[in-house]
Amino acid sequence: MMTMHSKTSFHAGHSLWADARERLMRNRAAVASLVFLLLMGLACFVLPLFPCIANPNATDLGNIAADCSWEHPFGTDQLGRDLLARVLYGGRISLLVGLVATGVALVIGLIYGLISGYAGGRVDALMMRAVDVLFALPFIVLVIVFSLSIEEPSRQLTQWMVESLHLPRETVAPILGLVPLFIAIGALGWLTLARIVRTQTMEIKSQEYVLAARSLGLGHLSILLRHIAPNLLGTVVVYTTLAVPGIILTESTLSFIGLGVKAPNSSWGTLIKEGADRMEVTPELLIFPSLFFCLTLLALNFLGDGLRDALDPRSAKD
Amino acid sequence: MLRCSRLLGLVLACLIPACGDGRSSAERAADEGVLVIGNNQEPQNLDPHKATAVADGKIISALLEGLVRPDARDDTVVHPGMAERWEHNADADEWTFHLREAQWSDGRPVRAQDFAYAYRRLLHPAFGGKYAEMLYPLRGAEAYNKGQAPWEAVGVRTPDDRTLVLTLSGPMPQLPYLLMHFTWFPVPEHAVEAHGGMLDRRSAWTRPENWVGNGAYVPEERVFNDYLSVRPNPNYWRAGEVKNRGIRFLPVVNGYTETRMYFGGKLHITNNVPPEMLEMAASREPGSFCRDDYYCTIFYRLNTTRGPLADQRVRRALSLAVDREMLVQRVVRGAGKSAFTFTPPGAGYALDDGGESARSQGERETEARRLLAEAGYPDGRGFPTLELMTSSRDVQRLMAETIQAMWMKALGIHVEIRSCEWSAYKAAQQNMDYDISSSSWSGDYLDPATFVELWCSGNNCTGWGRAAYDAEVDAARASAEPEQRLEHLRRAERMMLREQPVIPLYWSERTYMKSPRVRGWYPLMLDNHPLDAVELLPSGAAADAAPHSREGGSER
Repeated sequence: MMTMHSKTSFHAGHSLWADARERLMRNRAAVASLVFLLLMGLACFVLPLFPCIANPNATDLGNIAADCSWEHPFGTDQLGRDLLARVLYGGRISLLVGLVATGVALVIGLIYGLISGYAGGRVDALMMRAVDVLFALPFIVLVIVFSLSIEEPSRQLTQWMVESLHLPRETVAPILGLVPLFIAIGALGWLTLARIVRTQTMEIKSQEYVLAARSLGLGHLSILLRHIAPNLLGTVVVYTTLAVPGIILTESTLSFIGLGVKAPNSSWGTLIKEGADRMEVTPELLIFPSLFFCLTLLALNFLGDGLRDALDPRSAKD
Repeated sequence: MLRCSRLLGLVLACLIPACGDGRSSAERAADEGVLVIGNNQEPQNLDPHKATAVADGKIISALLEGLVRPDARDDTVVHPGMAERWEHNADADEWTFHLREAQWSDGRPVRAQDFAYAYRRLLHPAFGGKYAEMLYPLRGAEAYNKGQAPWEAVGVRTPDDRTLVLTLSGPMPQLPYLLMHFTWFPVPEHAVEAHGGMLDRRSAWTRPENWVGNGAYVPEERVFNDYLSVRPNPNYWRAGEVKNRGIRFLPVVNGYTETRMYFGGKLHITNNVPPEMLEMAASREPGSFCRDDYYCTIFYRLNTTRGPLADQRVRRALSLAVDREMLVQRVVRGAGKSAFTFTPPGAGYALDDGGESARSQGERETEARRLLAEAGYPDGRGFPTLELMTSSRDVQRLMAETIQAMWMKALGIHVEIRSCEWSAYKAAQQNMDYDISSSSWSGDYLDPATFVELWCSGNNCTGWGRAAYDAEVDAARASAEPEQRLEHLRRAERMMLREQPVIPLYWSERTYMKSPRVRGWYPLMLDNHPLDAVELLPSGAAADAAPHSREGGSER
């Protein structure tokens, strides 16, 4: 994206993107959030690879609900499992759901919105009515039905990967078990994005430079890819950062009602649910996962805000 | 989503216990004389011929009355109900019940024919009553239920409107205890006929507006997933002796939520305090915390019809590898006893476990590994992933995770946990669409037969069945001599345990909260509390009243 734009700009270093980056860097909250998210990602995905983090599913009934110690920095849960390890592995799943499902939603929403907005007329009307219909159905119910209906194939896939490819079950199962969830949330989460993209596309379509491109005889595909899509990216990036927290929340909701991750694996949602049940007895089981969860959502929101300000050309004057 | 918002509401309710006039909702209800009770789950059905859940049974027992009724203090005492008196022949296989002059809630008289109608309906081969076996003690009932004999062959006669004669397939001195179960209750023939007839499974006669009953209460209002309330039935024959002005049954599946609701002043009696809250609940309100013996076994059903579980050695290995001592101490937190046999000891029955409980867990695990290797899975190699199904109750899930880890550690096998909502869980179990199912069974009456008969061929949801087992149970049914009868049951149970279609885990206790304002509720092994005997003291009186224990209450 950067190169594409710096090519078209006259003064190197003064492209829209460079400006945006500069504005973003001036926003302390956004930068801090970005750093925090990177650290959180490292903690969840890289830290558990080291042996200092215990097996999150190893129960130790001799040591239940233990207090914080060097061995168990966050203490242990009701079955004697290390809470820090569970929070980190839970973060893995929550962040993965957030990113992958958003990715799926992004791809579908972008393509759908582009086609709809660019084609216009009857095609547009038809496509948007379809979106309206999907919008009218309750999201959670659809996700539940959808994820249940593709549960069996994904289980077979896991079985196959374990048996034929000899992959260790402990690493494959928790992730693959979530595939229905990824697909379900992604496949139904693109509606808003499709509308935003469509509106933007219609606006850009009527710009002079698009008319110029068309009069030069450029094909539809080239116009879409070279002139419209790049100009949408700002909006899409902002929407994405703001959508990730929503999707992590959806996963939590589903795990909360028992449709997300399967025991004994955890996500932040299931950890918070288990903690909430026991909050009078062992408050730390609620506090630690909630802390991680809330801070991550907060950081994502700050970053989204920062990006929106940074990428908004109208805010360039300050 | 709904549940989340409800939970949020509960949390808020706990934070702001006093609102309005400063009284909690339980206090307000108590001042009105209405008992608010936690009833585990949303009732599936109020029709006694379709209900199977314990929660449904509790409501049905408040709405309908059988030939006899339970005692508030003693599981072994039987009071006359619809039957004023009864007598039986020397063999105790023919019983004559003389009904009292009682009315249905619409003023029509309760007749012996209503009982016969009810039994015929439950047993009708075309009706498909899930609990029809409860009536199998009746002569010819099984054959009729299976479509092999006409109704006329069943041992139910009504010489006149007020006499009911039951002929049994064998001597059964304990019949009156059986009769307390809701499957033996009458239904109003005229009302059932008016709403679709005998065989209409979707009959609307149980809706509050159509309801006709002969029990202490009639339904008042039902708000789905919120509550079901009943008020006293003015036509009940003991209407003057009903001690409260109504009951509200709250379906709260989550024991944590329920206990919290109790402390938030929303309930008078709860259904269950989860293990992890025991210590907190007992220390926070020692006067309200109850811990009663319970005639109940927690166990795992095994689907013996498919996969490695068809092999008896594998089933045995799975059972041996469960460290029950750890489970009871650490997960159940002492609210139960390790079970190596199925039927809980009691009612004169105890089965020695063949030295099983005396061995160390290490010895058991060594044998388990050996058996698994013999079955062709040394160290769990090649063992397919089985599915362990639990209902969504938290204790069950916790137990499943513990046992999952135990099997992994001791045998090297992996099971996957599937936690289902109650009706999905029930359906999967009924259709044998499971590998291992986390189950519990609480006795319907105080006799080992209620546990042993569960494993007769047919509807035990494990696919297990042995003619020899059925023969022992039949012999027990036919035996009039008590010790001999128990010996038949012991022999049957030993046979079943050898083949292990189930893994007994522990015999549970009932732990719950009971408001100090509640009187007339005593510990009962069967948990069959006559709710009309429960009284709510006026506010302020509770503090002056005698402590529970002196009352013979449930505190220990």
